[in-house]
Amino acid sequence: MLELSLFCNGIVLGLVYAAVALGFSLVLGVSGVINFSHGITFTFGAYFFWAMYQTLGWIPAMILSPMFVALIGFFVERLIIRRVYGQDPLFGLLITLGFAMAMEELIRMIFGPATHNVNAPDFANGVIIVGDFLYSQYRVFIAVVAAVMVAAVWVFTEKSKYGSVVKGGMFNSEMVGALGHDLYRMRLYIMVLGSFIAGLSGILAAPIWSVKSGMGNSILMPSFLIVLMGGLGSIPGTLIGGLLVGICLSMGTLVAPRFVDMIPYILMGGIVYFWPRGLMGQQNIIE
Amino acid sequence: MSKIYKDPLFWIFLGCICYPFLPYVGNFTSLGTELLLWFIFTLSFNLCLGQTGLPSFGHGAFYGMGTYAAAIVFLRLSASGSFVLPILGGIAVGAVAAAFLGWLIREKRGVYFAMMTVAFTQVCFGICFRWDEVTGGEAGLSGISRLDFLGIPMRDPVTFYYFCFAVFVVCAIVIRAISRSCFGLSLQSVRQNYIRSQYLGYNVGVYKFAVYTLSGAFAGLSGALYCLLTQSAFADILDWTKSGDVVMATLLGGGTVSFYGPIVGSLIFIICKNLLSSLWDHWLFIYGLSFVVILSLFPTGIMGMFRKKAKKKD
Repeated sequence: MLELSLFCNGIVLGLVYAAVALGFSLVLGVSGVINFSHGITFTFGAYFFWAMYQTLGWIPAMILSPMFVALIGFFVERLIIRRVYGQDPLFGLLITLGFAMAMEELIRMIFGPATHNVNAPDFANGVIIVGDFLYSQYRVFIAVVAAVMVAAVWVFTEKSKYGSVVKGGMFNSEMVGALGHDLYRMRLYIMVLGSFIAGLSGILAAPIWSVKSGMGNSILMPSFLIVLMGGLGSIPGTLIGGLLVGICLSMGTLVAPRFVDMIPYILMGGIVYFWPRGLMGQQNIIE
Repeated sequence: MSKIYKDPLFWIFLGCICYPFLPYVGNFTSLGTELLLWFIFTLSFNLCLGQTGLPSFGHGAFYGMGTYAAAIVFLRLSASGSFVLPILGGIAVGAVAAAFLGWLIREKRGVYFAMMTVAFTQVCFGICFRWDEVTGGEAGLSGISRLDFLGIPMRDPVTFYYFCFAVFVVCAIVIRAISRSCFGLSLQSVRQNYIRSQYLGYNVGVYKFAVYTLSGAFAGLSGALYCLLTQSAFADILDWTKSGDVVMATLLGGGTVSFYGPIVGSLIFIICKNLLSSLWDHWLFIYGLSFVVILSLFPTGIMGMFRKKAKKKD
């Protein structure tokens, strides 16, 4: 039973990772910027939510807070990321890393260094009982919301007309611009979308991980690793990478509890060593 | 030799000699020593970033492994009672680790190279943080002391400062000689045009491997000295954010355009970290924001600001 519940935890964790990594991958693909301020939008989502949910209630706060985060994403794109288009991706990484450092400190300044706890909502506070297997309702709720986010982005890029432009932009954004689509506007939209997803994921993770200023760092690296692992520009690849990391992290506690933190890095190293473009990647902007 | 005063290194060395006699900051000898170690570290890092264009985000690993190697050599082989042995151990471990990683990823480029180095750093961090039997785990290693070296007691911070200064002088001159040698120029060609230097017949992978190993050895040296400075070893110096600090400091100083950029950058970083933080807890906010502002206005960093003609990025 322990194995089964760890496996389920792994899937839930993997879906959250996949959702965050998806936003990261979209921004990287369309604008060619490795956006290290992605982790901080995750943290902002959780903090805004923590500040609002007791007065507004769970669902309204859950809808409002990602919108504020998306607004932050809008300004970040306008003020910082716009300046590094067309430069070395690693230069963008460092600029956004510096910004993320400043913002993490700002969060510590405004909300204090303490860790805050968020309670699970009333409608998902119980357990699900299947035979003699117990599982937390809240984790199922997370899995559903994260899966809906991933699926929505997937359907958007596969089925809608603008989605196909975005998909094209992930392979060759300059060419998409040359074909007459407003590339800068698309990059802005994608950045806002990515921040929204990251903010919502931050809210989902808040009751489990508790809200602290360093929580962005703990999801930033895994999500970048997942993007490289799954292959840039591939949504199925990102999903597979996310689930792989989530399940390995969760099941790894049975095998080698002390060294579980290293698993995503070893996985990424192994996969990128043998498949340089990741599991499902094609030629892309960062090569 | 008559124009030695025109050499920036001369002025840097002079400044370092005078440091303990400065009125206010001179009392913080360990701050000065840390600064010297950072000079060595960032100069060695810049052999990779500025010279060869290798975005190594894992240099903290070699620094940290140098620290741990020195601590373990001291604690396990304490019977020998040597001052030099831990330092040699740090250099050796740094070089071997860098050689291992450099050989594995010699064909990788750009982001993939960077992420492989990050992965390596995190694995090293995990080992040092969790392997309690050897590395002391979260508690770290302590109980290291500075023994006499050639009859000179190193326990005195000022003496140790001058010892580190001597090491820094040697390292700075050697690193500059490397970067101006034929080997260094070939490395520059790798940075400027990877494909063309391959067509010219250079085995680019071997060059990358060689410079990475060299750089790792210097990083291990500075890490070992850091262990002797703090007389302890903790795992948090191996975290990837620390490696990020090195990259940011080097870039902020202008390592991509100037040999002296890393020195400027680490000067700013260490001063901010130690002095600004005592004035205001949230110094990272100012440091991060000014990094963003300076780099988005002057992509080549502070040394790039002073260049009249900004070199175009290749």
